[in-house]
Amino acid sequence: MDEQALIHDAQAGNLDAFNTLILHYQDSVYNMALRILGDEDQAADAAQEAFISAFKSISSFRGGSFKAWLMRTVTNACYDELRRQKRRPTTPLEPDTDDGEEMDSPRWLADPGMTPDQKAEADELEHALQHCLNNLPLEFKSVVVMADIQGMDYSEVAIAVRVPLGTIKSRLARARLRLRECLQGFSELLPTSFRLEEGSNV
Amino acid sequence: MNQRDLELLSSYLDGQLKPSDSARLERRLASDPGLRAVLDDLRAARGLLRQLPMRKAPRNFTLTPKMVGKNPPLPRSYPAFRFVTALASLMLFFTLGLNFVVPQLAQAPAFGMGGGGAPEVFSAEEAPAVPEAATEFYATEEPSIMMVPAPTETVAPATDSAREAATPSDKQGVMNSADLPAEPPAQTPPQPPVPPVWQIVLAAIALLGALGMVMMRQTAVSRWRRK
Repeated sequence: MDEQALIHDAQAGNLDAFNTLILHYQDSVYNMALRILGDEDQAADAAQEAFISAFKSISSFRGGSFKAWLMRTVTNACYDELRRQKRRPTTPLEPDTDDGEEMDSPRWLADPGMTPDQKAEADELEHALQHCLNNLPLEFKSVVVMADIQGMDYSEVAIAVRVPLGTIKSRLARARLRLRECLQGFSELLPTSFRLEEGSNV
Repeated sequence: MNQRDLELLSSYLDGQLKPSDSARLERRLASDPGLRAVLDDLRAARGLLRQLPMRKAPRNFTLTPKMVGKNPPLPRSYPAFRFVTALASLMLFFTLGLNFVVPQLAQAPAFGMGGGGAPEVFSAEEAPAVPEAATEFYATEEPSIMMVPAPTETVAPATDSAREAATPSDKQGVMNSADLPAEPPAQTPPQPPVPPVWQIVLAAIALLGALGMVMMRQTAVSRWRRK
């Protein structure tokens, strides 16, 4: 895929060229939205909005990392979605336990095809991680998702978030620290190789 | 642990430190188990995040022209059709308005004098004095339609009291006026300034233009969708 040629064609209004770029990046964009929003449907909507917005403003892309530019667009779409949620808060439909109390950890949200024990543990760990991500401030969350989940380097993250490199380093360090503290509450779910030190003093 | 050390450890983990800073930190790590423990925790947290499964997008997010508000390319003659249609429509409405207003204005003075609007009725005192010569003329000559200054109906009922107070010469003039034919000459209804045939032509142009635009757009959309 000649990315530069496709971007050039898309800037000239060629929708087919832009759709080729979408097919290449849609998984990354969707995962970025999923980890920021923590909800599959909202993530899909945000990803779609991000691609529409990206096509409309692709003339403003002046070169550099296209992925970083795209990630900025999807991050903005997620911020919009979160702002909308804040304005119109909704009550999640939590299932009741046998005692009539709401479940704290809605395992019922998991794919019903993934019920075997091996996958259940992975599911729980993913839920635990998502829970900790959800508790992060938004500016930390976007940085840690880009750096640690999307595997983007610091300069790409800095372009995507539009903050200096030093701020990226600071936010990433603090985000990792908060995640570590949060994940200590789920130590029984963590694989032995990833067990966190209980005694470390930060 | 202070914020500076935390940032150093995080950057060290990602290989983002300068070699000199990295070497200095490694010396500290070798002698400080607490620092090492924090580094291990950060590494574990980063490792867990990296293990998160990459989900496949639930659907393709490819865009359709409709989603991005793109319109089908219209023929080059489309703007000309639009201009002609708009112009014909405007002119049609203008001529309709003109044909409605102008006859109303033409009839307005007649209604005004006969209708008895107070300021338009001359009282005897306010009326300009009729010159003697003119009075004599009215008294001797046969009344002529051409010489009547205004329909008599408008002056005669002005006010009876005013007529009583009028001078004899005035009275005579009024009486002579009363002898004139009571009805004004029959006026033909004013013709509309724009002949209706022009309006029909304009309406036809506007209608055909609009029809042409709709057909052009539909053809362009259907061709576009086939692509």
